[in-house]
Amino acid sequence: MSERIINNISKDYDEYLKDESRKTGKADSISFPVTEKEIADTMKFFWKENIKVTIQGARTGITAGAVPRGGHILNLERMNRITGLRYDNGSDSFFLCVQPGVLLTNIRKAVSARNFNTSGWSGESLEALEKMKASACCFFPPDATETTASIGGMVACNASGARSFHYGSTRNYIEGLSIVLSDGSGINMKRNMFRAKGDLFSLTTNNGRVIQGRIPGYHMPEVKNASGYYAEKNMDLIDLFIGSEGTLGIITEIELRLLKKPAYNWGCIFFFKREEHAVKFVRVLRDDSFLPTPLAVIRPVAIEFFNSDALELLRLQKKEGKGFSDIPDIKKEFNTAIYVEFDEDSEKDIVNSVFEAAGRAEYCGGNEEDSWVAATSQLMEYLKSFRHAVPEALNLLIDKRRKDKPGITKLGTDMAVPDEKLEEIIDMYKADLAVKGFESVMFGHIGNNHIHVNILPRDMEEYRKGKELYEKWAYKVLEAGGTVSAEHGIGKLKCDFLKIMYKEDGIGEMRAVRKAFDPRNILNQGNLAE
Amino acid sequence: MTEAKLDREANTIIREGVVSIINPYDIHAVEEGLRIRERKGGSVTALSMGIPCVVEMLKQVIAMGADNAVLLTDKAFAGADSLATAYTLSKAVEKLKEFDIIVCGKQTTDGDTAQVGPGLAEKLGVPHITNVVEIMELEDDYAECRRAVDKGWEIARVKLPAVITVEKDINTPRFPSIRGIRNMLKPNIAIWNADDINAEHDRIGMKGSPTQVVKTFIPQSKAAAETIMGTPVEQAKKMISIFDELHIKVRER
Repeated sequence: MSERIINNISKDYDEYLKDESRKTGKADSISFPVTEKEIADTMKFFWKENIKVTIQGARTGITAGAVPRGGHILNLERMNRITGLRYDNGSDSFFLCVQPGVLLTNIRKAVSARNFNTSGWSGESLEALEKMKASACCFFPPDATETTASIGGMVACNASGARSFHYGSTRNYIEGLSIVLSDGSGINMKRNMFRAKGDLFSLTTNNGRVIQGRIPGYHMPEVKNASGYYAEKNMDLIDLFIGSEGTLGIITEIELRLLKKPAYNWGCIFFFKREEHAVKFVRVLRDDSFLPTPLAVIRPVAIEFFNSDALELLRLQKKEGKGFSDIPDIKKEFNTAIYVEFDEDSEKDIVNSVFEAAGRAEYCGGNEEDSWVAATSQLMEYLKSFRHAVPEALNLLIDKRRKDKPGITKLGTDMAVPDEKLEEIIDMYKADLAVKGFESVMFGHIGNNHIHVNILPRDMEEYRKGKELYEKWAYKVLEAGGTVSAEHGIGKLKCDFLKIMYKEDGIGEMRAVRKAFDPRNILNQGNLAE
Repeated sequence: MTEAKLDREANTIIREGVVSIINPYDIHAVEEGLRIRERKGGSVTALSMGIPCVVEMLKQVIAMGADNAVLLTDKAFAGADSLATAYTLSKAVEKLKEFDIIVCGKQTTDGDTAQVGPGLAEKLGVPHITNVVEIMELEDDYAECRRAVDKGWEIARVKLPAVITVEKDINTPRFPSIRGIRNMLKPNIAIWNADDINAEHDRIGMKGSPTQVVKTFIPQSKAAAETIMGTPVEQAKKMISIFDELHIKVRER
């Protein structure tokens, strides 16, 4: 086994010291296991030697969760097989079995084409595949923006995307997990198999080790949330691992629940001349009770927001670079944009949804002609590039500034609040940014009251002041019943915010859970807490 | 076409049952047609020869703003090369009667011949300009266009009626608006077969195609690649020694 561990990792493995947070760590060794047994043997070795281990998927995370702090890197990118398929008659659903290193984009392609590498598949899996080919199309709902994310990473961070507004996060689609713990022992879990009794939990590993502990007593905010351990009395214990950021064990196999794919998927961007009209439109889209007379029911699957600075940034980038040439001109009088997406099973239903949304946009002070509608997959791809152009343009701008001021990085928030606090929080962001005179851009998942506020510091002084403002906002958001991290996770970069959120007591309770699973604290040190 | 599969016997692309997309160059052509209407008035008719499901793509073109559309579809049109396609389209244009300007995409992204636009112009007996990136002037009787050539641009003036083929650089296509979606639901797409356009059967489809695809294959790359490892300084030194071996001079700035 020792030949699989690469020691004294040279410059050839430089990229494995980083992830998309742009932070760089250090490590003494690295391995790329291809089986669960290899992982178990590797962990037995490092457990014995008491050497810390950092688990990596595709390293697309932005909170330094995969950045090593010395010790060994256990990189799962070579565990990239889709290993089986199951059909359940009762729920008329398909379940896909995958290794943690499979990328989201490859899951999507395989499921969409119903084309898998089936070598090594069981008879049951092959039968299920025949059934899948004869059935309506399926899809895997979580739509993390970064499609090169690994599924193991998505589970570890409980990843979300724009469509989580309707479909929920990765957690909702995990049916089973195989885990290897820090001492090399293993647990196989299925949904609804093991539950906490009140706030007490007990799990037995495959080799008979009993793990017991107490579920943390903090109350998770009732918003889209990716901060800290999932904690609820009588909870399904599989949920402890989902979103645990690799601190409790290594995910070695995952069973995913697939849904039937709706026949039609259309997206629309509505432009508004005034931001308050756009925010009113969001309310009215989400909640029919805001309308004076009962109208058709619509179910948007995503509602996204782009403020005036975001649109202006795109206009600027279009003028300067060729990269955004497939985005049509955004008229000067358009101040704010709201993107709405629908999934329906008939053309009649989706057309009605789009017309209903247009009617509501007009009710809120918009104009149905100030809209872009994507009614084909080709046009949806163009709209997707519009949506992704904002964060891309931001990164280009920051990269330009870093040339003269290397310490600068963008300061992006990831906070969400309950529905009733939306306008209040937006007003707070705007007022504070204006007072400080910061350059900024706001965009994001307004359907979940989850807006990314990006401060663009022009120098290190602004960077420092921006961080202070971010901290002030964290307190305000938490007071409003929100969360410090709605989708990016805590990693190593937001431990302070997690402490503000759950206080010393909550952090202590999380530490106790972690200690129960990993008594020597060798896994992913620095994630969730120092 | 998203995932192309080949009919090995006929050496044609299997189009049925595959998610097809509008040829990107054609979307730019439609957009340019709409901009011409914004400049000079008139109406925009979209014309396509294809399999029946292409009507869905024409709906999208109506949603963009075209006034109406025509789909030429017939089993007899299948297997057409660029000559037979140009002939078939020309017969449809004759049926549509008058036109001032026909805008085509420069080429398709599956066939890549770029011959249909010029072929259509010849069949109609009108002049044409290819590879247009800008219509600089547009009057009732002429158009002055900037076109891409190998080493730069060329300005060319053409008498109308004419055919122009356009590059992607010419514009950024608009998205349909809500009004466009409303228009898309109205019945404004005509469907014509070979008899509707009085096409001679030996000039359409495979019968009317003097060229035939003999073989289609993905070229096998024979080039071997050498990966240069090491620190940036080591890599730079190795690259310079490779340039020396290949007698490539590196110019200092």
